Amino acid sequence: MKKKIDTIKRRSFLKSALASAGAAAVAPTIIPSSAIGRDGAVPPSERVVLGGIGIGNRGNYDLGCFLEQKDVQFIAVCDVKEARRLAVKKIADTKYGNENCSMHQDFREVLDRKDIDAVLIATGPNWHATMSMYAARAGKDIYCEKPCTKNIEQSLILRDTMRRTGRIFQAGTQRRNLPHFAFACYLARTGKLGKLSKIYAHPAGMQAMMSGWLPAEAPPEKGKVDWDMYLGPAAWRPFNPKLLDGFNFEKGGGLVGGGVLEWGSHCVDLCQWAVDDCPPPVEYNAPANGELMARYENGTQLIFREKGWIPLGSCPVRFEGDKGWVEAGDSGKMVLSSPELMAGRVVEEIGGYPATFHVRDFLDAVKTRSQPKGNAEAACNAHIVCHSANIALFLNRQVKLDLKNYEFINDEPANRLRSEALREPWRI
Amino acid sequence: MRTYFRALLLSTCLTVSTACSASLFAQVQTMEKEADLIGVLQNGAPADKAIACKRLAIYGTGESVSELAKLLPDDSLSSWTRIALEAIPGSKPDEALRNAAKSLSGNKLIGVLNSIGVRGDVAAVDLLKSKLQDSDVQVASAAAIALGQIGNEAARKSLTQSLANAPAGARSAIAEACVLCAEKAMNDGKSDIAIAVYDQVRKADVPSQRVIEATRGAILARKEQGVPLLVENLRSPDRGLFRIALATAREMTKGDVDGALSTEIGAASPDRAALVIQALADRNGPGALPAIVKAAASGPKEVRLSALNALARVGNASSVSTLVSVAGEADADLTKGALQALAELPDQNATKEILDRLSKADDKLLPVLLAVVGVRRIEATDLITKALAKKDKATREAALKALGATVPPDRMDVLLTQVLKPSFVEDVEVARSALKTAAVRMPDREACAKQIAASIETSSLETQTALLDILAAVGGTNALQAVKNAALSSSDPLKDVSSKLLGDWMTIDAAPVLLNLATSGPADKYQGRALRGYIRIARQFAMGEPERVAMIQNALMASKQPADQKLILPILEKFSSIEMLKIAIKMAGADDLKEDATKTVLAIAKKLDGKPEVAKLLAEAGIKP
Repeated sequence: MKKKIDTIKRRSFLKSALASAGAAAVAPTIIPSSAIGRDGAVPPSERVVLGGIGIGNRGNYDLGCFLEQKDVQFIAVCDVKEARRLAVKKIADTKYGNENCSMHQDFREVLDRKDIDAVLIATGPNWHATMSMYAARAGKDIYCEKPCTKNIEQSLILRDTMRRTGRIFQAGTQRRNLPHFAFACYLARTGKLGKLSKIYAHPAGMQAMMSGWLPAEAPPEKGKVDWDMYLGPAAWRPFNPKLLDGFNFEKGGGLVGGGVLEWGSHCVDLCQWAVDDCPPPVEYNAPANGELMARYENGTQLIFREKGWIPLGSCPVRFEGDKGWVEAGDSGKMVLSSPELMAGRVVEEIGGYPATFHVRDFLDAVKTRSQPKGNAEAACNAHIVCHSANIALFLNRQVKLDLKNYEFINDEPANRLRSEALREPWRI
Repeated sequence: MRTYFRALLLSTCLTVSTACSASLFAQVQTMEKEADLIGVLQNGAPADKAIACKRLAIYGTGESVSELAKLLPDDSLSSWTRIALEAIPGSKPDEALRNAAKSLSGNKLIGVLNSIGVRGDVAAVDLLKSKLQDSDVQVASAAAIALGQIGNEAARKSLTQSLANAPAGARSAIAEACVLCAEKAMNDGKSDIAIAVYDQVRKADVPSQRVIEATRGAILARKEQGVPLLVENLRSPDRGLFRIALATAREMTKGDVDGALSTEIGAASPDRAALVIQALADRNGPGALPAIVKAAASGPKEVRLSALNALARVGNASSVSTLVSVAGEADADLTKGALQALAELPDQNATKEILDRLSKADDKLLPVLLAVVGVRRIEATDLITKALAKKDKATREAALKALGATVPPDRMDVLLTQVLKPSFVEDVEVARSALKTAAVRMPDREACAKQIAASIETSSLETQTALLDILAAVGGTNALQAVKNAALSSSDPLKDVSSKLLGDWMTIDAAPVLLNLATSGPADKYQGRALRGYIRIARQFAMGEPERVAMIQNALMASKQPADQKLILPILEKFSSIEMLKIAIKMAGADDLKEDATKTVLAIAKKLDGKPEVAKLLAEAGIKP
């Protein structure tokens, strides 16, 4: 992963490259100039005061992106693991030259702090939606890692809660803020490829998983690892260290995610952007020959495909229209059916899917109250696509989604998989 | 125990593959009748019961409910059984949850109340009302939220009546539930009720976030009559209320919101005005533009910068005059903002306006408009070319850059001439850069390369070098041939530059050219450079294994220095295969390479662990794994 991008490059990207990439919907990067002090420091009144919750590997990377921003002040860390709390506090205190970063085992203590504007949520996926909702209700803006939700109902409630509370929500879908992906989506969205016939996403392993109940082992001391808080809204099970840090732990509730959700929350999200963030497909078919085909209301096909990609790195997407096609991946490169699609533009190649630009987009939105690229509505739609595909995958048959109420048509088993009860006392 | 293993088998196998999960699921679906699952609930181990709850969530009926309900007091299984009880349709789960609520307490009661809310059980309103008074504020809060989710008249009345006098700990949840009720009233077309509820919450002693939510609702519920309340909050000293007003302004579809925001731009502090402009631009309504253009033209700098940013998204031809004027100002930030806006103006009529202004531009504005033409990529070769004769160097440079960005294929000669016979010698570097910019965007790169290559022979050495560099950036067959010719020439400087360019060539067709250079002619430093370029292609480019093996063998035959041969070893390891292993073993036989090649042999062998041939080949070579 490309963690370091020099400041000049980053700034030049923000101010010109995306625009030249033709991403017409670029969010404003306006910060009142009074926010910038004479020496480049940011006065306290203009800083975004941040707390971090669940700061493990990914969270540390995200936090690094936040700490690069001059207008961020990170003051609190919460984690169910003591070792992580201590490690993050050390990072923050070293950066600021003080001892001020507070440590918390219960995230509600962070949400209760009135001096915190926004939270970075990088827990396991089990917690993402629930914690985001608690944060929004507490008046915090939210940068939340993906996958953001565990089922369709959570996706809808996430969207509605962010609207109701007026909070800024940015899903950790950082590819929306990378120029080559933005340009590829722009070509599709603005008709440069003609009428879209097929768009492709790479799920990197289509599988449906169920959460399990592993044999009980002796739990660690609660101060070291708070197992009850780690489980959070997931149905109860005894402590087993194999479930700790499990990348795929409980990410989908009743049936879960696998590659469709894990990667789809990125690549399906890009496909959704390519179709202008329209409502999700209405039909999802059982997988056949390594592909799962969904169909939008206008006939465009969204295809989850494991093979057949041009080697452009992980998380590739491909958009095909009657006038051309484009394929892009995590290498930062894209391949076009014709160089004329570039129309003389230069699109900066940024490989390694850095989140720096996405974090900046979030911070600007916090200040302007505009919608960031990975906003709740976009995330809601993309996640519904993934959950619906997973339900078709799990039931191994076609399901049809009614966009009026986001229920499956005459399909009780599928509808029962739209949501799942949370463990007490948590609510969504 | 049998069922436990079956459930574990199910949960394990479902992770394996699509085909596996599908077929196994179908099998289990047939096998697992509801009665079997109920049996598990009665007699199974906790893990079996948990999985059975999940199955019943999908396929259970009212028949399962009584057994599921028995698990509600269970510390381990209460959450699992509610997964099923929330999902099973019909009245039986509702009855079971209501009954459980009468006897449970603490978190388990909260869980049950949450499930009642999710199911929207209207018959539970009286029960929930009673729980609103619970001494445990978490229970009271859960009851409140459940009432909000039900949202009928009875629920709403109980909530609004409780709001003022509820314990402080429960008041936030009651206010949140009131907002849920108000939303439901709005959805039912009862905006008067919604407004009353929102206003009550706005004025209640509740946390500020609840007031913010109610304020948003109160503005939206009032529709066009909501504008004064919007303005009131845009002017609020409370940052939270100001911010929710900004967000709500973006959501409003009724009333003269654009007018109100336009007025606020002038009335608000510069910091706030800058943010109001962004909200106005996001609305992109018909009344937005005049105020934004006005703000861009003059006033506090932060407001102007925000307006320029906004014009990039919502400006049109009428904005061009102001933007060109700002682009000509002395302040670099404003100039940059204006140029950016001019580059991105979405309106195509803006292009006509810019061209018209370019044709009439005075010497001061000419470089600005040339820059605009360049960034907008407007084809105006004749107008731009005229500027190449201007005395002002900055103007000429702007013209050359604009040509680089815009010149069409049939006018490439204009730029080529500026490289071959520049009007002003001091412009030649900019001209070369512009030609390169133009050349790499040409749709027919072969034709472009042919045109450029035709000029090489008659050019000076310095120009030849520049043209070869441009050709390398263009790529393709013609460019490759031209660079190859230069590499084979008798000119040492040309051989130098062309062998470097070939060494970095970005397509695989440079391989035979590099091999030819590496193996023909007198031995010199360019041969070694060509060989290393050839090896780079074998290392970096996608190709089939037979092709890569052939390239490696060619490279080995061509290489005379152990240092070059060692460059091959990482390729063998990267693309480990039996063939690569054989080559590595062969290389390990050479004294100069033995140590490094043996390491590679072992690394490949490790990657190919399990292939029977590996041990045999290692044994034959006398290399111990």
